Amino acid sequence: MSENTGWFCDVYTHPDDGQLTLWVISDEGSRELLRQRFSITFYAAGKNERLRELWYFLKRQAIPVSLGRDERRDLLSPHPLTVLSVKVKRPSDQPRLFKRITQIFPDLDFYDADIPLSARYAATFNVFPLTRCRWVVGENGWVHEIIPLESRWELDQTPPPLRVLEIQPDTEPFHTRPKELIAHSGRYDWRLPLYPNRPFLACLAAVISRVDPDLILSDWGDTWLFPFFLRLSHGRHDLLPLCRDPKRGVLYKAKRTYHSYGQIIHRGQQILLHGRWHIDRRNAMMFSDYGWEGIMEMAQVSGLPVQVTARNSPGAGITAMEMIVALREELLVPYHKQQAEQLKTAKDLIEADRGGLVAAPLAGLHEAVAEIDAVSLYPSIIRHFNLSPETINNSGDEISLVPAINLKVDQGREGFLPRVLSPLLDKRIAIKHLLAELHPRDCRCSLLKARASALKWLLVVAFGYTAYRLAKFGRIEIHQAITAYAREIILQAKEVAEEMGFEVLHMYIDCIWVCKPACVRPPDFQPLLNAIVDRTSLPMALDGVFNWVAFLPSRIDPRVSVPNRYFGVMQGGEIKVRGIEVRRRDTPPFIAHVQLEILSKLAKARTVKEMQAFLPEIVAILRKKIKELREGRVQPSELVLRQRLSRAVADYRTPSPAAQAAAQLEAGGKTVNAGETVRLIFIRGEDRVLAWDLPEQPDPRRVDVERYTHLLLRAASTVLQPLGADEQVIQAWTNGSVPAGELPIEFPLWQNLKIKRLHVAQV
Amino acid sequence: MGRTLATTTQLILNEQKEFTQFRRALRRSDQAAFDELFAYARQHVAAITMASHALPFETILLAMLLGEHSENRRLRTALDLLREEVSQFQRTVETLEKRDV
Repeated sequence: MSENTGWFCDVYTHPDDGQLTLWVISDEGSRELLRQRFSITFYAAGKNERLRELWYFLKRQAIPVSLGRDERRDLLSPHPLTVLSVKVKRPSDQPRLFKRITQIFPDLDFYDADIPLSARYAATFNVFPLTRCRWVVGENGWVHEIIPLESRWELDQTPPPLRVLEIQPDTEPFHTRPKELIAHSGRYDWRLPLYPNRPFLACLAAVISRVDPDLILSDWGDTWLFPFFLRLSHGRHDLLPLCRDPKRGVLYKAKRTYHSYGQIIHRGQQILLHGRWHIDRRNAMMFSDYGWEGIMEMAQVSGLPVQVTARNSPGAGITAMEMIVALREELLVPYHKQQAEQLKTAKDLIEADRGGLVAAPLAGLHEAVAEIDAVSLYPSIIRHFNLSPETINNSGDEISLVPAINLKVDQGREGFLPRVLSPLLDKRIAIKHLLAELHPRDCRCSLLKARASALKWLLVVAFGYTAYRLAKFGRIEIHQAITAYAREIILQAKEVAEEMGFEVLHMYIDCIWVCKPACVRPPDFQPLLNAIVDRTSLPMALDGVFNWVAFLPSRIDPRVSVPNRYFGVMQGGEIKVRGIEVRRRDTPPFIAHVQLEILSKLAKARTVKEMQAFLPEIVAILRKKIKELREGRVQPSELVLRQRLSRAVADYRTPSPAAQAAAQLEAGGKTVNAGETVRLIFIRGEDRVLAWDLPEQPDPRRVDVERYTHLLLRAASTVLQPLGADEQVIQAWTNGSVPAGELPIEFPLWQNLKIKRLHVAQV
Repeated sequence: MGRTLATTTQLILNEQKEFTQFRRALRRSDQAAFDELFAYARQHVAAITMASHALPFETILLAMLLGEHSENRRLRTALDLLREEVSQFQRTVETLEKRDV
């Protein structure tokens, strides 16, 4: 027997005996693969005769199981349920066995049947990925005991000493054929020529053996690099030790396309390793948002494996967290969601089926505007008002009513969903507080921000999943109650602000933008903030005060202003932008950079009055950029834009630029799936569009300069129109027919007007 | 986005579409006025949403009326201010004339 401490990393089943393999990092830095015995229990309920048939069926199977009759609690029913319990002695047998049972007994209800192994393990031993723990190991590496030393909810956990190897091909493999592999780890950099193959393979194997990474962070690893490696090595571990566990090869998951939130989404194929992790930055969910540090945080709090967390939506994480709480509290986890939407009258439905409150802002430029946000509004509402599948429309002694919609909430006992979300919410708020105290240049900031962002996404999705048709603990009424409360709260905030003499410029779901003469610094808004917190009893925060902010009118109809489309400069100098070109993925980098450059010029102005002085400089920038474009000095790669293909190429009646580009790719022998992003540039000639990922390099002389000039002027007009300069005016400035910076009309400030205008366009 | 009911913005657009033929028969200048009325409605989406009225067009009409009336009030205030400025100007002119005389 020996005892050791370190970090738990991953758990999966062993191919020979079907028991668990644990991958841990010890304090001494050794990477160990331990073994542990584990059994999995799931339940079936239904008619007695069918359960008896299932009993006989299971008795006849070669898979060792022990069967029993049990009473278990279901979240939604007040009485315990009589169930047949099936204890599977080898964890690796369970998924196969369960699949066979569902085919033969589709009429039975199943519980605890499709819980990810790592979540089940976490619920049993309280050991989550990357948790510090102590283990006692007997002969041949079999674990007798494993105990967590730190909680996943602690802020200051000891981080594991992970070794990271970054690899990427020297170019984008779907655009041009790569020649080299670039690898980086710690102080070392390597460039390995891909051809000839045999020496490359030997070199790569040497790099992997030398670094012995815990995490391989790649670009196009899932879709190009690893398939290439596997082709070369024929999957042989002795030639290329991709996995640390020689018993298990790499796990390959096929690509897929699915619908989510009205969009069609494409996920490339996945390659998962055993005994180390592989994360493909290009195929990971929201990698740009929270990075691999955020992925680690999400894996730790949710109990899902790191590689799965990286590639799945945060919804899988929230579901796993719900499952873990249910397993701990011995509540049944249904295989299929059972509760359908309750019957409603048309009137109730019209009142309930609404989202957050979205109001049209007062378009134009405003000075000294405070943005006040609710802190994690939806999860806070879930917790504060005790919204949960079993508390909604439940009869009880303590009942509260949801505003405006016909729903009752039982307040007698803390609900299931608040129990799941409470620690998550507390941890996020604690990180936020810590971040506010730290100096912005503190080295801990970026890590903390990534972790806060990962937690934020889990919380956001926790709200969305209450309405998801497949969510195990979802219920549409919770979703309706949350948005009803949210609308009520933001209206209360608006009322408080107006009572105190503030003007509310914009309301958007969980934010309001307010201003008042003589309120300039953050402390000036503190009384308002306190009053709102008093009225709503939910946490609110002053996001910041804008020196100036411009709410923009619609492009299609300039008489109407658009919610959440604005840009402005905070008092700290930070530029905040929503819904305009620089934030959009279908903007070429060249255009986005110019727009950002114009914004940074405008950001120097502390007041609207000062802005006009920067116009000549801005026009000079635009002239320079247009000149560069005309002289072909802009790299074609800077002009590439990305568009998502919303359906298969053949289904387009009038092809969009993306569809045209996809058709070119398909003619070139590549398949493009609906939901995939297509990269293209605009060229002159009949085609107008050229797919970027064709083997041929685009001729820079064919670039459609006129079209890009037009896009450039349009992007410039987005940020200059609040000053009164539309596309024509800017064009007149750039070609010199009107002196630069001379505005066609005087464009007064909102606040300076004694009378409010309704629309910008009426001036 | 997988919703049972249309959003308020969609509702307004649908109602506007219903009147395509109506709009066609209008004179160009009336068409502009017609479009402005619907712009008033879209400027008040939040209020229309909160009303959750079973017959949305009634609320849309009310939003148009509201837009029209705030415009009316704005013009009235503007007129008052102008009137004040004009009378002030007149007074100045009168005093100057008296002085000259």
